[in-house]
Amino acid sequence: MPLVEARGLTRTYRKGEQEIRPLDGLDLDIDAGRFVALMGPSGSGKSTLLNLLAGIDRPTAGSLVVDGVDLAALSRRELAEWRSRKVSIVFQLYNLVPVLTAYENVELPLLLHDLPRRERHARVVRALERAHIAHRHDHMPRQLSGGEEQRVAIARAIVTEPALLLADEPTGDLDRSSAESILDLLSSLHRDEGRTIVMVTHDPRAAERAQATLHLEKGRVAETIARTGAKESSRAPANTEAHA
Amino acid sequence: MRRLPFEYSVRNLGRSPLRLSLAFAGALLVAALATAAAALLLGMDRALSASALHANAIVLGSGSEESLERSEIQPAVASILAASVPGIPAIAGTALVSPEAVMALPVEIGDDPEPRRALVRGVEPAALLLHPGVRVVEGRFPERGASDLAGEAMVGLRAERQLALPPGSLSLGTRVRIEGSEFVVVGRFEAPGSVMEPEIWAPLSDVLAAAKRTTISCVVVALDPEGGAALQDLAAFAARRLDLEIAVLSEEEYFASLRRFFAPLRWMIVVAAALVAIGAVLGGLNTLHAAFASRSREVGTLQALGYGRGAVLLSFAQESLLLTAAASIAAVLLCRALLDGVGIAFSMGTFAFRVDATAVAAGLAAGLALALLGALVSALASLRRTIPEALRAP
Ligand SMILES: Nc1ncnc2c1ncn2[C@@H]1O[C@H](COP(=O)(O)OP(=O)(O)O)[C@@H](O)[C@H]1O
Ligand SMILES: [Mg+2]
Repeated sequence: MPLVEARGLTRTYRKGEQEIRPLDGLDLDIDAGRFVALMGPSGSGKSTLLNLLAGIDRPTAGSLVVDGVDLAALSRRELAEWRSRKVSIVFQLYNLVPVLTAYENVELPLLLHDLPRRERHARVVRALERAHIAHRHDHMPRQLSGGEEQRVAIARAIVTEPALLLADEPTGDLDRSSAESILDLLSSLHRDEGRTIVMVTHDPRAAERAQATLHLEKGRVAETIARTGAKESSRAPANTEAHA
Repeated sequence: MRRLPFEYSVRNLGRSPLRLSLAFAGALLVAALATAAAALLLGMDRALSASALHANAIVLGSGSEESLERSEIQPAVASILAASVPGIPAIAGTALVSPEAVMALPVEIGDDPEPRRALVRGVEPAALLLHPGVRVVEGRFPERGASDLAGEAMVGLRAERQLALPPGSLSLGTRVRIEGSEFVVVGRFEAPGSVMEPEIWAPLSDVLAAAKRTTISCVVVALDPEGGAALQDLAAFAARRLDLEIAVLSEEEYFASLRRFFAPLRWMIVVAAALVAIGAVLGGLNTLHAAFASRSREVGTLQALGYGRGAVLLSFAQESLLLTAAASIAAVLLCRALLDGVGIAFSMGTFAFRVDATAVAAGLAAGLALALLGALVSALASLRRTIPEALRAP
C-alpha cells in the first residue's frame, strides 16, 4: 500500500463570484521511501497539494490517505496531533522562529512529544548533526545565512522522524551553491535513511535529484517522469493515475 | 494541551522595542488612570465620612444650602446656643461648642511673594474637642493675640502638598501672610483622611480680622448621647430663633449632603478617566495587534508543526500579560509615590488621592483586563486565518 493515496482530490477557492480550482480530481500514489519532485507553472496548485499532504488544509472533495490515515476523518485537534508525528514541512523562507536559537527551533516540534529530557536533547543534537549545522546550535536565525537557516529548518523537520517530509521550493531563495548543498542534504536523507520526500521546485536541476518528477497542470498530474539510477526516463500518459 | 515554551513569550517581548514601549505606555496609562480614579474616589469617600462617627451637629446659615463656604452666621450664635440650649455637654466648664470660619484665602508662604489659595479655618480651642480626629503632633495649638506683630497658626500635615510646596516649607517658625496679615506657624496637626488635614488653622478672631469679615461659617455643637442636648432640641431652638437665620444638621446629614453634592463630581471623575483610558486601550490594543499581526507567518508555522490554536493563544496571553503586568506595577508604584496624599481642591473642599490596596487592585485589574483583551483580540485575528493563508503572509 502506498504511503500517500489521493483519489479525486479537489480543492476549490471562492473569489467573489469566481471559483478557482487549483486541484481538480487529482489521483496520486506515492510509495514510501520515494523522493518525488513536483513541478508545474506558477499557480498550478503545487503548494495547494503540498498543504493538503501536510494536513494544514482540507480538500473540497476526494479522499487523501497518508500512512493509512484518512485525513478527512480527523478533527482539527486530531489533525494537529497527526501533523506533529507524521509530517514535516520545509519552507522556501525557512520560517524559523526568530527569537529562538537554532537548537530551540529544532527542539520546538519535539516539545509536542512525550520524551524524557535526555532523549529529547539527544534527538535534537542528532538532527543538528545530520543537517551539518550542529556548530551553530546556539545562534539566532538572524545570525545565520540563508543556507544555514534552511539546514536548521531541515533539522527541525527530521527531528520528529516523520513518515513524510515535504518541501515547498526549499532552494527558491538560495544562491546556487547553497541550493546545491541543501539538495545534497535532501538527497542523502532519502538515499541513506530512506526518507520519503515530496519537493516542490521550479528548478529542473533540483528536480533531477528526485527519482520522479510529477508535472501538475489543470489541477491534475499531467505527466510523470521517472528516473531510475541513470538518466533513462519514462513518460506516463496524461490524466491517468500517477504513481511515483 | 501542549504549550509553547514560556521563554518564547518572554523573548517575543523584546522583538520590537518601539512597539514594546508604545504598548507599555498605553498599559501604564490605563493602569495609572484606573489607580488614580479609584484613589480619588476612595479619598473622597473617606473625607466625606471620617468625622461622621462623632455625634456632632452643625449649625449653618439658613440660606446656605448646606454649603460651608456660602454659610454666614453671626459669631454670637455660638455663645447664644451654649447659653440657651440645655444639655450641651461640657468639659471642665467649657461647653462643647465650636464656632468656625472656613475660607479659601490667598496666603503667602515665607519669602515667596506669590500668593497661594489655602483653606483657612478660624477656630477656638474647643475645636479640638469637637474634632477628635485632629491631633497636634508638633508644637502647639495657636493662641490668640500672642503678639501685636503676628498672629499664630497651625498647619495640617497635608497643607504643604496641597499648596504644592516642598516638604519642610511649613515647619514651625515659618511666617505666612494671610490676606496681608502675618502669622507664625507654631504647630502642626494631623487629621488622617479628613477634609481638614490640608487646612491652616488660626484663632477665629485673627482670621476674621485678616479676612475683614464679621460673620462665621458654622458652629459645631456636641450632642449628648445620654439624654442631654439632642438634634431635635437644636432644631427646635433654630425654629424659635428665626432672627438668627440658622439651620441645624447632624454631622452625618451634613456629610451625606456633601456626598450628594459631590456625586456628579464622582461621575465626572469616572467618565473622564474612562474616556482617556479608552483612548489608551485602543492605542495599546492597536500596537499589540500590529505586533501579533506581523507574526502571522510564524503563527502558521507553529500550527504546521502541530501546535494548537490554544497554545498560540496562551502564549500571546502570557506575552501581553507580562507586558501589562510590568506596566501596571510601574503605574501603581508611580501613583503611590507621586499621588498618594496629594490633594485636589474643589470649591467646597479638598480631597486627597488615597492610593491604598483597593486603588492598587483597581489599577492591576485594569492592566489584567487590558492584557487579556489584547491577547484575545489579536490572537483571534491571526488565528482566524487558515494555516496556508497565515503561511503566505509576508
Ligand atoms: N486561500 C486562497 N484563496 C484563493 N485562492 C487561492 C488561495 N490559495 C491559493 N489560491 C489560488 O490557487 C491557485 C494555486 O495556488 P498555489 O497552489 O499556491 O500555486 P503554486 O503552484 O504556484 O504553488 C492560484 O491561482 C492561487 O491564486
Ligand atoms: Mg507555491
